[in-house]
Amino acid sequence: MSRARRSLAGIPLRAALPFAAAVGALALLPLVLDPYALNLVTLALVMIAGALAWNWMGGFAGQVSFGHAAMFGIGGFVAARLLLATPLPAPLAWLAGGLAAGIFALGAHPTLRLRGPYFSIATIGLGEAARLVFTYWERFTGGASGLSLPIVAGGKEALYSWALALAAAAVAASWGIRRSRFGLQLLAIKADVEAAADVGVSATLHQDLVFALSGAVVGIAGGLYASYFSFIEPNDLFGFDRSISFVLMCVIGGVGTVLGPVLGAIVFVILHQLLLASYPQLYLGLYGLLLVLIILFEPLGISGLALRVARRLGRGGPPPAPLVTSAAGPASPPGAGGGGRGLAP
Amino acid sequence: MPARSLHRWSTVTVLFLAALGAAVACRSREQAERKEIRIGATLPLTGAESRIGGFYKEGYDLAFEEANRQGGLQVGGKRLPVRLVLLDDTSSQATAVSLADRLVNGDKVDLLLGTYASHLVEAQSTVAEQNKVPYVNGGGGATDIYRRGYRYLFGLLAPVELLGTTLMGFVDAQQQAGKLPRPARVALVWENTAHGKDFRRGVREFVAGSKGGYEIVVDESFELSGKDFGALLEKVKAARADLFLADAHLPDFITMHRQYVSAGLCHPVVSYGARGAEKAAADALGRENVTGILSAVWWNAQLARKGGPTRAFVDAYEARSGGREPEWYQALGYETARALFAAIQQAGKVDREAVRSALAALKLDSILPGGQLSFPAGQGQQAHYPFVVQQNLADGTSPIVYPEDSATGRAVVPNPRCAR
Amino acid sequence: MARLLDLAISAVLLAGLYATMAYGLGLVYGVLRVVNLAHGGVIMAGAYLGWVLHGRLRLDPYLSIPLVLVATYAFGALLYRGLVRHLPRGAAGGPASLLLLFGVWLVLRNAAYLLFTGDDQAIRTSYSTHAVPFLGTWVSVNRLAVLGIALVIPVALHLLLHRTYLGKAIRAAAQNAESCTLVGVDVERVYTVTFGLGTALAGLAGVLSATLFAFNPASGAGELLKSFVVVVLGGLGSVVGTAVAALILATVEVFAILVLPSYLTAAVGFVMLVIVLVVRPGGLFGQRVLG
Repeated sequence: MSRARRSLAGIPLRAALPFAAAVGALALLPLVLDPYALNLVTLALVMIAGALAWNWMGGFAGQVSFGHAAMFGIGGFVAARLLLATPLPAPLAWLAGGLAAGIFALGAHPTLRLRGPYFSIATIGLGEAARLVFTYWERFTGGASGLSLPIVAGGKEALYSWALALAAAAVAASWGIRRSRFGLQLLAIKADVEAAADVGVSATLHQDLVFALSGAVVGIAGGLYASYFSFIEPNDLFGFDRSISFVLMCVIGGVGTVLGPVLGAIVFVILHQLLLASYPQLYLGLYGLLLVLIILFEPLGISGLALRVARRLGRGGPPPAPLVTSAAGPASPPGAGGGGRGLAP
Repeated sequence: MPARSLHRWSTVTVLFLAALGAAVACRSREQAERKEIRIGATLPLTGAESRIGGFYKEGYDLAFEEANRQGGLQVGGKRLPVRLVLLDDTSSQATAVSLADRLVNGDKVDLLLGTYASHLVEAQSTVAEQNKVPYVNGGGGATDIYRRGYRYLFGLLAPVELLGTTLMGFVDAQQQAGKLPRPARVALVWENTAHGKDFRRGVREFVAGSKGGYEIVVDESFELSGKDFGALLEKVKAARADLFLADAHLPDFITMHRQYVSAGLCHPVVSYGARGAEKAAADALGRENVTGILSAVWWNAQLARKGGPTRAFVDAYEARSGGREPEWYQALGYETARALFAAIQQAGKVDREAVRSALAALKLDSILPGGQLSFPAGQGQQAHYPFVVQQNLADGTSPIVYPEDSATGRAVVPNPRCAR
Repeated sequence: MARLLDLAISAVLLAGLYATMAYGLGLVYGVLRVVNLAHGGVIMAGAYLGWVLHGRLRLDPYLSIPLVLVATYAFGALLYRGLVRHLPRGAAGGPASLLLLFGVWLVLRNAAYLLFTGDDQAIRTSYSTHAVPFLGTWVSVNRLAVLGIALVIPVALHLLLHRTYLGKAIRAAAQNAESCTLVGVDVERVYTVTFGLGTALAGLAGVLSATLFAFNPASGAGELLKSFVVVVLGGLGSVVGTAVAALILATVEVFAILVLPSYLTAAVGFVMLVIVLVVRPGGLFGQRVLG
């Protein structure tokens, strides 16, 4: 797929330069933004990382998960517990939370042979079971009353930098996965599991890997979220709404694209604030409408829209193989049974 | 072409963020000479809790109107009007937090009032503490909120645990009068929320200190917005309890009590915590089915019989709302704002540290049961006062039956509904 | 022993409720292979519809069922014609249709907030808390009515699917849409009718639950999740399987209280969902389309 080969240590300059520019610009934001706006951007960055990680599973491998809140919650609560009980520096606690979430994701291994709606429904079941159990498990999560973290002086500025680092790493990882052999193998699994298996791509192994990776990054995001709010509660972190929010961010931005989830998360967090301030009565419905319109007219969300506009302006050049394969794209014919099991009537 | 599009995208992103930054930077304003006191608050004005959020707003509005009718608050030799900057948190935790952030850092309010429901208060108060802004709330009763050692957080809702202990205090008086068996068997059913957990703790502590007067035979939690309580109620039935003590929100109370009545259950003492006396309950369940139910709340308009500030509040509220009687939500909202105003005037300046100290030392003649409001440091700056226990009687009234000094009627124990 | 009998009765009544909630979801999936995420929203809308008819026109909730069925059928048919029809179906369309219908649900929820505010509502009739004695315990008449309807629906659907031309067309379309077109069946029409029927069944579940529970615009999520479990256990698309699965789920949930804290009994259903999906993706009874 990749044609551009003017590169620096394997990374094409055309990609590396704007990426570095964006991160640099964002790193300077604390100088110009007031604390409220900065906190908003921090939250957006955390969500960007979460959305990108969801996209590895939902966009690249084509397995739409409605249960990522489980990993988000586990990451958040493990990190919070470590911060409360040990003198561990926060970043290490977040990493440990991510690790725990990744291991939990590996435990979902048996569901990975399900495809399409079957997998989605299974993840709903996993997510809800996790929510109930963790809400009940008072000694770990504090039960329904949640956990409060000590407030760290000047913590918000440091948190911004870490959130930026996490988001940047997630963007780089997305880009790397998308261009790697591994990414191609995931796309092959998404297009046709059996054909992929015929050419020696093991669906289970690859999906285990990407699910664990995705879960771990979502878990780290959960840890940062816990530090950001200083108070976490299992019904919020493990909630079905949380799982849905990852899906929404990716759909709004463009499922399966590298940068779509970034835009989706920005729109999700910032639009949410603006809508809530101006139209609190209507924001749910506006989201719903947005979702309906995107699915009907532009399955690639904002990314697809922007690509269209760019092409119309004549700058885009013809994309021979689509940069992305949409979730709704011509993946496999109905009834042909991507996963074999489950779909055939 | 990934590189190409990446390039295009990052340009867009940078432009977007730059525009965002510029917009926000323009909005921050200079601090001019003080002409008013700006007080920020969020409440759930839309969404699931909008009804209660609206009640609190009525209480806030009344307190602000009264203060401004006198020309404002007396601060440093002149009167400054107070202005409420109220935003809608839609009962969502993340929104409540970021809006509090916006109030403090964007709208630059001087002080904060709280929102409704414990989990929102617990989340939101972190913002106040981080920014060292006094935060007075009348909507968070869970004790966990006040165990964190926060200095800027003040709560007017007495701990929900006291709901459980006050209720048990009433039951104990009945037991001593020989109206209930000893030991009495208690079925304890609570929603798995901070509210329910505190209720349970209050009842359990009372039972533990009762020297064998009570025995807990069922101790089960249920999920908020549950649908079927069949199995749970069957367990209650099998336990042959004398006391049925539940803690539930309004929808769960309605759903559970319908199933309770249909299942032919009846206990000598029945309570759903704070629920039972409201009109919505009688409408949804039928007057005859809520008769005998005991409820314990933070405040009731019947307290106005004693006169004083409570009478004044009820009169002012009824005049403003066309004769509608205030519930405890409006009273708590009103009193919360009034406590903050009193502290500002005692501090003599709109300085966050000075107001915090004034709040910590506050002793205010109050409309709340007990008549005096303070924020004892030993309780994490959460007010402590007894609840008032009401009972629904067959004639449709719900008089206060406990504690004795506030009582406006006599309790009927055991529950007359079971007699048939 | 009496206790086990009480629990068994609770389980059967609960099964009736679960089954009525799940039929619509199962029917739509069985024929169209679309997971109707708006199902929970329609249940909520049906509840409000029954509430409005009862409050404004003093119409008994059971008498309002035909009106609610017609209204939600029309809504479902329009939803299919206007939106769902334009999506790819099957494995590829799965996520897209999930999200589209989730969007519809959000719009429904918002509309309910605007129309009725977020307050909790309930329908109260003179018989709301009436109960009849049965085997030494009391059984709510409303719950019995729901159970009765839960038993009637599969029979009615069976008759529809096996005795009418439309029903045969629906079954044919479920098995092989392409050959249907070849033999002159208007598949799009069949799909419209099926989606309408599925939605109407959700509306029916809504009115029935309004007679039992307090509800508000956010209601429906719990109902949807339970319906998922039931439909998956029963094998997606099997009407009789749905009924039996509802009984199994209700029995497990109700009897779990003997060994588990009450709060965790709901988790048992979700764990069952995952296990059944992994071990027997076709459902407990294998996959029989509209059998």
